Amino acid sequence: MFRRLILEDSAVFYTLAAFATALSIYLTITWRALRMQRTTINRFENLPFATATPPASHESDTSPRA
Amino acid sequence: MTASVSPLPQGRKITLEFNDRVVRQFLLATVLWGVVGMLVGVLVAAQLNFWQLNFGREILSFGRLRPLHTNAVIFAFVGNMMFAGIYYSTQRLVKARLASDFLSALHFWGWQAIIVAAAITLPLGLTRGKEYAELIWPINIAVAFIWVVFAVNFFWTLARRREPALYVAIWFYIATIVTVAMLYIVNHLSIPTSFTHSYPIFAGVQDGLVQWWYGHNAVAFFLTTPILGIMYYFLPKAAERPVYSYRLSVIHFWSLVFVYIWAGPHHLLNTALPDWLQNLGMTFSLMLWAPSWGGMLNGLLTLRGAWHKLRTDPVLKFFAAAVTFYGMATFEGPLLSIKSVSALAHYTDWIIGHVHAAALGWNGFMAAGMIYWLLPRLWNRPLHSLALANLHFWIGTVGILLYVGAMWTSGITQGLMLNATADNGTVLAYPNFLDTVNTIRPMMLMRVIGGGLYLAGFLIMVWNIRQTLRGAQAVNGTVEVFDDAEDQAAEVGVGVFGTFLNPPVIFSFLGVGFACAWMFGGDALGLVGLVGLILCVILAYAHFESRGKAWAGWYDRLLVNTAPFTVLTFIAVAAGGLIQIIPGALANRAANVEDRRQIPYTPLELAGRDLYVREGCYTCHSQMIRTLVPDVLRYGDYSRLGESIYDHPFQWGSKRNGPDLARVGGKYPNVWHLRHMEDPRSISVGSNMPAYPVMLTRDTDLAALPVKLAVQRTLGVPYPNWTPDQIASRVAEQSQAIAADLRTAGAYVAPEKEIIALIAYLQSLGKFEDVSAAAKPVAQRE
Repeated sequence: MFRRLILEDSAVFYTLAAFATALSIYLTITWRALRMQRTTINRFENLPFATATPPASHESDTSPRA
Repeated sequence: MTASVSPLPQGRKITLEFNDRVVRQFLLATVLWGVVGMLVGVLVAAQLNFWQLNFGREILSFGRLRPLHTNAVIFAFVGNMMFAGIYYSTQRLVKARLASDFLSALHFWGWQAIIVAAAITLPLGLTRGKEYAELIWPINIAVAFIWVVFAVNFFWTLARRREPALYVAIWFYIATIVTVAMLYIVNHLSIPTSFTHSYPIFAGVQDGLVQWWYGHNAVAFFLTTPILGIMYYFLPKAAERPVYSYRLSVIHFWSLVFVYIWAGPHHLLNTALPDWLQNLGMTFSLMLWAPSWGGMLNGLLTLRGAWHKLRTDPVLKFFAAAVTFYGMATFEGPLLSIKSVSALAHYTDWIIGHVHAAALGWNGFMAAGMIYWLLPRLWNRPLHSLALANLHFWIGTVGILLYVGAMWTSGITQGLMLNATADNGTVLAYPNFLDTVNTIRPMMLMRVIGGGLYLAGFLIMVWNIRQTLRGAQAVNGTVEVFDDAEDQAAEVGVGVFGTFLNPPVIFSFLGVGFACAWMFGGDALGLVGLVGLILCVILAYAHFESRGKAWAGWYDRLLVNTAPFTVLTFIAVAAGGLIQIIPGALANRAANVEDRRQIPYTPLELAGRDLYVREGCYTCHSQMIRTLVPDVLRYGDYSRLGESIYDHPFQWGSKRNGPDLARVGGKYPNVWHLRHMEDPRSISVGSNMPAYPVMLTRDTDLAALPVKLAVQRTLGVPYPNWTPDQIASRVAEQSQAIAADLRTAGAYVAPEKEIIALIAYLQSLGKFEDVSAAAKPVAQRE
């Protein structure tokens, strides 16, 4: 068992299987993301602006300069 | 793809006040611990150049302060910054006040208490001896408890949210919470021997694998994913425009979460780690290039149309530079994970340069940008000085460039010199390790200057904050919401059954199950697994073709459902760890070793080993001779997997400020070690190692040995069930022999002193029993 799991060359298959698994997930998510509708994207990407935060004073021209 | 959008609430409008008090507390703690962590960093960097800065005191020695530096920067500085950013952005993204003021306060004060406990125990030499996991077991439990408090507070807030959709930043926070919990608990599994000491349950190669699964993903899920969430919230806010591509952020998240967790073994390339794990670590590290750069470009391109603001706005300056450093560090990481590049760079300053490009550039600058953005908003006062903030940016940038440039040069120089051979590769070109140390001294000095500049920039920010806060009044943010919005936003709920009993999850589980049966099962089970896997793939494809909408609908509902999203994120990150760790854990038994097996330490050697761990010797010395010609020429035969199979914890190390010690046993006489520990420069001219004269005068703690040996036995180390008297007798016999040998060489040290135990341990390194088939008698082989 030790040799088979740890040392044998055939264990290189794990790398290939793991790579194929991750790649398939990557491709699936990419496909899902590309099919997102524009309205959905607009809604999600504007969530940070749904709750207004006050502008910092230095972002206007009235802030004091050192 | 469509996400469900809730109907407009019909209730009465109310004003909701956020809990920004805890955000302010974490923000100020970030600044305080940032100064402490960086100050210690500059000191330990200077100690490598000027050994006198160890001040002859163990409590201030490099081996003890270096863990203080790394823990302070990771868990205190970035930890507090992360909590501040998560709490600020989450409340606003989900339109809900933090669920519990009590839990928020407990989280803050509990985390600070942990940091203080770490700052006291680490200089005292109370350590587990594993990098970034040094804290002793009572503090480990406290960390786990406070992390649970954080998680409850966070998820409870999500449950009370008034915004049904979960923005991508929240995804990154969820991944952080579940993954860090998993990593921390597994890597800190230990059996205590006293209130301040424990042995990890893993040993040798298995401990190494678990440690770097944790260590690498501490970088991924403590220093990267939460900061990416912060980037996806604060960068659009500062630039006043949405993220460049939300689609790309979705790909960024899932690919990062799926891929990152597999990359840990790249810290153990060319070592005794099984080759397939090394290949796995390298392959997945290379795959990280794509999502990391996708995220980096997404961040930078968010500034499209706002680049002119960089001239005046220090917040955007810091964010833009931070994201650039993120891109640089995530390009360099996969590069260093290529086996042949690792052969040059591993154990050298190049790695130190790489992590500091990320820590100073990415984490430090994101923290600074976030602090400068939050400060006026949390205290309703303009920033005291924009000019000082800009000065901070430029001093910090120059500091990073000096630091990283020096470490690149130093690391490559060190790697080339240590690996250089002559006479057709038969002898080392630079056989004296100290040649390399003294060659890179100018670069080490440059690092001190670069680090000092970065700290100076940070101190300018501290002054700026102090001036801004003088007389300022803290304010809490508010938002107007409908009082029944919480009910309206209540999740439509896919529920437990909906989470698991749906086509994508069922086919995934079946596929993994059949694949495991194929790989790990016997002949018959393997065949069943192979046939099942092929059938599963065919059926999944057929089902997807005919009922594709069911697959899409399931994913869409996840985007507005916290619980199943969290469960599936956990499965995603757990899969990589399990596949790497379980095969080794099953097979990594002394009885299975087929070539060399470690000889268990004698009681005195074990006591000496605990001193080695206490002093943090692993921060400068490795115990792993890689399967590389220069390593073998310099240190001896390459290290075998079985040679550290009883090492709780493993001490393979990650950096060579001094030479490898895997086969130092028997290389020098006892008196050499005595003189070397008492005054390293009397033996090795030009050495930068701290002196440990106190070891010649302090007694070894032998009273703890019976419990320690009992715990080691519980962990599987084949010690007999000795009585305390038998242990004392064995210790006395060995220590007296060493003391007598020293006396013969003209040095008198009493047998009970710590140095005797340490010498016993050092002289035991590299000893093993040959259990290969060739070494066994014929009858035993049969």
